[in-house]
Parts: sequence; C-alpha cells; structure tokens
Amino acid sequence: MALINVAAREIHCKVVYYGPGMGGKTSNLQHIHNRAPDGTKKGKLLSIETETERTLFFDFLPLDLGKVRGFDTHFHLYTVPGQGLYDRTRVAVLNGADGVVFVADSQVQKLQENLASLKELAMNITRQNKKFQDFPVVLQYNKRDIQPVYEEQVLPDGTRRRRQVAGALPVAVLDKYINPKMQWQRFEAVAMRGDGVFETLRAISKLVISKL
Amino acid sequence: MDPQLTSLIVPTEEVMQIEECLMHLVEDTGGSHALLLDKSGQVITSQGDGNQDITALGALIAGTFASSREVAKLLREKDFRMLFQQGVRENIFIALIEEQWILCIIFNKGTHIGLVKVLTKKATDELASVLDRVRHQHKQRDEVLGSSFRTSMEDTIDLLFRD
Repeated sequence: MALINVAAREIHCKVVYYGPGMGGKTSNLQHIHNRAPDGTKKGKLLSIETETERTLFFDFLPLDLGKVRGFDTHFHLYTVPGQGLYDRTRVAVLNGADGVVFVADSQVQKLQENLASLKELAMNITRQNKKFQDFPVVLQYNKRDIQPVYEEQVLPDGTRRRRQVAGALPVAVLDKYINPKMQWQRFEAVAMRGDGVFETLRAISKLVISKL
Repeated sequence: MDPQLTSLIVPTEEVMQIEECLMHLVEDTGGSHALLLDKSGQVITSQGDGNQDITALGALIAGTFASSREVAKLLREKDFRMLFQQGVRENIFIALIEEQWILCIIFNKGTHIGLVKVLTKKATDELASVLDRVRHQHKQRDEVLGSSFRTSMEDTIDLLFRD
C-alpha cells in the first residue's frame, strides 16, 4: 500500500520485480541504478545475495522522482529471489507491494518455470486479500536476444516437423501461454544491456500512480 | 481496513503526534534513534541523531519482520510481535503495531533492554490509537494531492524514464 505523508509532502510506492530464477530481475535494477536518468535521485543498490551472487533475500533500490505538484515521489524497487527454495522469502518481500513487474525468461526451456512463477504470484497476491485481476502487473519478456535453435523431427508417419529446442520463444507464443487474455501490458527486453528496462519501469510506475 | 485500499494517507497532525511519541521514546530510553515504518518498508518518520541510511534501514527491518512472520507461520505461531537484535555496540528492538506499522528503536549497551521493552509497549499503544485515527479519517486522494496530480505525475514519468 502506497504511503502518503502529508506533513513531509512525500509519496512512497513499492514495486516488486518477480519471476523465475536467473530471469533478469536483478539485471533490471542494476541497469536502472547505473543509468538513473537526470532528474531522479537514486539511493544505493542494496543486494542480499548468496556467495554465488544469486539473490538470497532481495535487491533494493530507492528512486526519488523529485517533486510533482509539491509532493516528493519515491519509488522503492525490490526483486525477489527466484529460486524455488525461497518461496516464503518471496511472500515476505511481496508484502505491501503496490505493483509487480513480472520478468519472464523468454527461453523455450523456461516456459514451465515462468508459468509456475506466475501462478505462485497470483496465489501470493490473493493471500494478501487483494484481487489479482485488479492488481497492477506489467510483463517483461526478457532475453529476447537469444537466437532460437530448431531441430527437425521425423514423425512416425514419415512427415518432418521443425521444433524449437532452445533460444527465445516468439512473442506470440509467450503471449499465448503467459498473457492469453492480453490483460497486462508487456514489453520485450534484454535487461543485461538495458533494452526495454526503462520502458517497463515507465509502464509500472504509471499503473501504480493510477491506482493511488 | 479495506484490503483493496491502495494508499494510506497520514495527515500532518498525526505525523506530528508520531514524531512526539518517537522523540519521547528516544529521550526516555536513552536510545539513539527511533523509526516508524509501514510494513512495506517505507519510513513514515524517524527521530534521533543517527546518521544511518534510513531508507535502506527501513527496507531491511521490514524485510526481517516479514521474514520472521513466515517463520512464525511455519511454527504455527500467529506472529512474532517483537524482535530483538543484539550487537557488540548497538541493539535494535522492533515491535509490530496492528499488523500495519513497525516501531523500531536503536540503542546501545548503556540502555537496559527491560526499560526499552516497557517503554516500547507504551509507545506502541499510543501509536496504535494514532493508526486507528488514520484509518478512520482516510481522506480521498484528490483531496490531498489535487485532481491534476495524476496527469502531472504521468508527464514526469514519461520525461524521466526513456530508454
């Protein structure tokens, strides 16, 4: 829940980057931290990670958008740890979130993990007594730069079929499984090099503000 | 409180009461710093002379609390309403207020934990009644921010977040 402090004339909103492990959530925050636009004030990027630099608890980046109509607006960006082991930690970080960026890994072999993570997100939001269908969510299809790899299969009847075995799935396929009703805005990204990162942040920020 | 409510507006008068309560807590315990956080980790206000990064501290303390709540659930306990973290020099005592706010006091070894517990209990009772008023007087967003706030905010976001 966003906090509006009338005395200090401050607004605080919490946005959580959610999604399967190694999907690029931390890369999003790192890019925002490295390339924070002029006019914003960024705080320190705080990461609680394992020895192998996987997120253990969360990454946290406070971003101050400056004064709007006399109110200082602060966005607090968090990531959750993506690994299956940390499901309870994700519940803890998601507590009180005003919006979620779901970072899906576009790779074909990650589709099931994306779907499982999205299902878990819906369950965790519902557990906070919020309606998931009304909750601000923006999708990001990350790792769009990984070239698809196809394999030719011969079916028992002798016909040949080309099947994708690796690389990024086409956006239409991801939409079909992850966003079948197209209820969420979705953005293509390569978070490691910053493509689509600010576009995603812009969409979730506006969505959160619209629900204040 | 309505779980679908998307923002909590803390009016000026209530912020002043919270500040006064935190100030008394710091003075009476001899602590160095007291903070009131929302459970999502946002700092509502703080009092004291610490030079810590308050924003990061708020996020971490709320994370610790949320994490301990999940531990409690696994142990079939409703909540751990208080947490105590003891260091060589500094100690932190954290208490939950009505499932919404978190009160945190930082103090050194010169202060007895018993005194902190007693005075924190008194402060949480006071703050619970402030929270109750905040919830009941919930004002409309437009009343506080002005009706054109959203458009101005969207323009600012468009201007700032460009790839």
